[in-house]
Amino acid sequence: MSVPDHKDPRPEGAPMNDGELLEAHEKLLGRQPDDRAKYRLLPLVMLFVLSGCVLFAATYLNRYSGHFDRSIFNENLLPTGSGPVDLKPDPIALGRRMFNSGGACYSCHQPNGQGIPGAYPPLAGSEWVNGAGARVVRIVLDGLQGPVHVGGKTFGAAVMPAFGSSGFNWSDEQIAGVLSYVRQEWGNKSKPISTDEVAKIRALTADHKAWSEADLLGVK
Amino acid sequence: MTSANPQANPNDETPVEATGRCPIVLLLAFSLAWLLVSGTLAFIAGVQAHTPAFMAGCPILTYGHTRALQDTAFTYGWIANCGLALVTWILGRLGGHPLRAANWMGVGALFWNIAVAAGMVGIATGSATALTSLQIPGHIQPLMLAAYASIAVAGVLAWCGRSRPSLYAAQWYGVALLFLFPWIFSVAQVMLVWAPVHGVLQAIVEGWYAQSLWTLWMAPIALAGAYYVVPRVTGRVIPGYDLALLGFWSLIFIGGWTGGRHLIGGPVPAWIPTIAIVASVLLLPHYIIVLLNLGGAFTRNPADREGGRSLAFISFGLAAYVLGGAVDSVTGIRSVAAAIQFTWFDEAQRQLAVYGGVTMMLFGTLYYALPRLAGRAWASASLARGHLILSCIGIVLLVVGTAGAGIVQGSDLSTAGVSFAAIATDVHPWLSVGSVAHATLLLGNILLAINFAMTVGCGRLRAAAEALSS
Amino acid sequence: MKNGPLFLLGILAALLFSWAGIVLGSNAQLGALPAYYDANDSLSYPRRQPGIAAEGQIVYRELLCSSCHTQQVRRPDFGSDVARGWGERQSVARDYIYQAAVQLGASRNGPDLTNLAGRKPSAPDAADLMNLLYAGQGGMPAYRFLFETRRIVGQESAAALRLTGSLRPRPGCQVVPTRRAQELVAYLLSLNTTYDYPESKPAPAQNPEQK
Repeated sequence: MSVPDHKDPRPEGAPMNDGELLEAHEKLLGRQPDDRAKYRLLPLVMLFVLSGCVLFAATYLNRYSGHFDRSIFNENLLPTGSGPVDLKPDPIALGRRMFNSGGACYSCHQPNGQGIPGAYPPLAGSEWVNGAGARVVRIVLDGLQGPVHVGGKTFGAAVMPAFGSSGFNWSDEQIAGVLSYVRQEWGNKSKPISTDEVAKIRALTADHKAWSEADLLGVK
Repeated sequence: MTSANPQANPNDETPVEATGRCPIVLLLAFSLAWLLVSGTLAFIAGVQAHTPAFMAGCPILTYGHTRALQDTAFTYGWIANCGLALVTWILGRLGGHPLRAANWMGVGALFWNIAVAAGMVGIATGSATALTSLQIPGHIQPLMLAAYASIAVAGVLAWCGRSRPSLYAAQWYGVALLFLFPWIFSVAQVMLVWAPVHGVLQAIVEGWYAQSLWTLWMAPIALAGAYYVVPRVTGRVIPGYDLALLGFWSLIFIGGWTGGRHLIGGPVPAWIPTIAIVASVLLLPHYIIVLLNLGGAFTRNPADREGGRSLAFISFGLAAYVLGGAVDSVTGIRSVAAAIQFTWFDEAQRQLAVYGGVTMMLFGTLYYALPRLAGRAWASASLARGHLILSCIGIVLLVVGTAGAGIVQGSDLSTAGVSFAAIATDVHPWLSVGSVAHATLLLGNILLAINFAMTVGCGRLRAAAEALSS
Repeated sequence: MKNGPLFLLGILAALLFSWAGIVLGSNAQLGALPAYYDANDSLSYPRRQPGIAAEGQIVYRELLCSSCHTQQVRRPDFGSDVARGWGERQSVARDYIYQAAVQLGASRNGPDLTNLAGRKPSAPDAADLMNLLYAGQGGMPAYRFLFETRRIVGQESAAALRLTGSLRPRPGCQVVPTRRAQELVAYLLSLNTTYDYPESKPAPAQNPEQK
């Protein structure tokens, strides 16, 4: 592990010292690009590479910027229209939440819409749910009493409360949402109920008591 | 052992060594100690990755803690200490005057390492911030900032008082990184720790910090060293040097914009990842220019064995650095990102960049600098060769193993039916390769530390003996 | 390049440029992002976490759970996040406005936890999570130090874990979660993104190419 004296005493060969290094590169930076043919091609190639990158970058930015909008999380989309994003909640999402919220629909009709045999009628595949909008809106608004036939079975023990009044006081929008939800969930494929439709029926049936099956069958 | 005092090499002794030897060698010694700590933790984390029960009962070394500790020891222990030492040395030499404020540097080195050690204790005992690359608890960060300033002042003074007005590429990178770190570090501290911003902005600032730390601090550390050593050893000027300026400014201007690259598909507005992807493509010319400028490292003179060793490390690092840049832009593309996001592939990319790229270039610079600082050649050429071989093997194994794990994990994750237990089984062999790689790297670094201790320590012992006898 | 101050200014400008663009730009957009008030529910969303859950988030951070678990669900056509049942929609910025330390996470060695408590069809309950933390599972290590094995004095604690097989404690002993475990589980059970914001399901806007 000795360093023989007759060899180069420097720890390593140092072909270029600091002063030479600085001086040589200072000259390089100061000269014109074309005074030595050796490097002339390099800047040209770099120019191509650079413009290729810039072109790609600009195209990509233009295509996926989402117009720099704060509510665009999917780069393929653009902000809708000129105004702010429509702040109306999705009626189906609203309906799902109403259905599943505190002790309302799901506790009797069950989260899978099957009800409880002998006690609470199913909603999945029910001819009432998928029937005339005017009837289901009335049921939810004012409730239902007495025996009712669903899918060939009779349910009579329980009473459906009125969601449009009494303790619940659901708005037209909420009732429309929950009905749209149950009419399209669990394999049901009926048309959604609009808020206007609920509002119209609410005005028609103000102060109505709970409905019976016979009353409802009279509603067209 | 023959005498090898500094006067023995009149051709390459500058006043910088005479004035700055102590603090610079102190920083290097600290850095190597942290490198060993980080290597040990990396091995533990590597084993835990495929055998989760390993040391799971120890609340200090849960997997999350080991990873955070390893990252902290590596970034703020190894890279910071070694990088600052070598950059100051290079700035001092290119400045052409004796190093001023060397005492400040020594004191700063002491406090910086106390802070990092305290930070490690903080992380282990549960005060980590859970922020990428910024795990050190908030109350320690101001101390780090002060210590950093104290260390950096020597480099800044050497640059201000330089004897030639013109600046060489190594000086651009060196000065830039000295100033950029405190800026990005204090911004991150204020916006994430002291007065945290709201909601996902935290993730955005965190990404900006982590990427800036990489592009504006770690990469310049490596490049400053490489730009200095390559022409010194080869004896040739940098080819295409006029492009180096473009390479520098494109890194500095565009680097910070890659901050959103880990937020692709995440809960941030789409333009943030889009800009990051654009920025990583715009960085490609930087990598091409660096490769062009430093390509001389791949050709070496067989007669110059020690210089050749530096160049071997640097050329490996250069290849890894450029490859890392290319992989970064490819994986930015959203369809690729969707497949490998949140997998081990990300870790492979990081290791390729910070170990394969930055650390290898730092090793190269260290092998060049220490003989000049210590005034004598490296104590053992075979230890150095062993370190080179083990490092190269280790990095290739590590990157291949981790990337393989990432690809397997990515394809499993994208199939909804594959359970996490099945994924763990699938990546197990790949991750085992990773922990073998960590062991290899650790072994190599032990060789480096022994060699360093022998080189520096022998000189010290002899100097002490001479002082006693005179 | 000879002018030192100009050089420094250039570096500062470069940094400010990216900082202003990314950090300030996004701060201007999201810094004051309000909760979404739903008139139908007379509630604003997201809901704030209960106190014990906020404590639990600190435990989540201390243990660095984010090194294996993410808290971000990507949209249905981007990865399998939705298909795996981690959430029914993409996570959006508004989901996080009340979180003291947002932990999006960067690797998925374990499942995503964004909507852990709101998963369909069945979300885990406290007992499931306690058992998972105590026993570990697959790639997840056991976190035994979050539990205490105590001698049963009088009646068995209501919080004691129901363990089976080799994990069952010695007769006369019980495994009880510590306060930290309870906080962590309360936090995990507070994680849900079941509310749909307008921006989380953007109307299928026109494709820029078809414009």
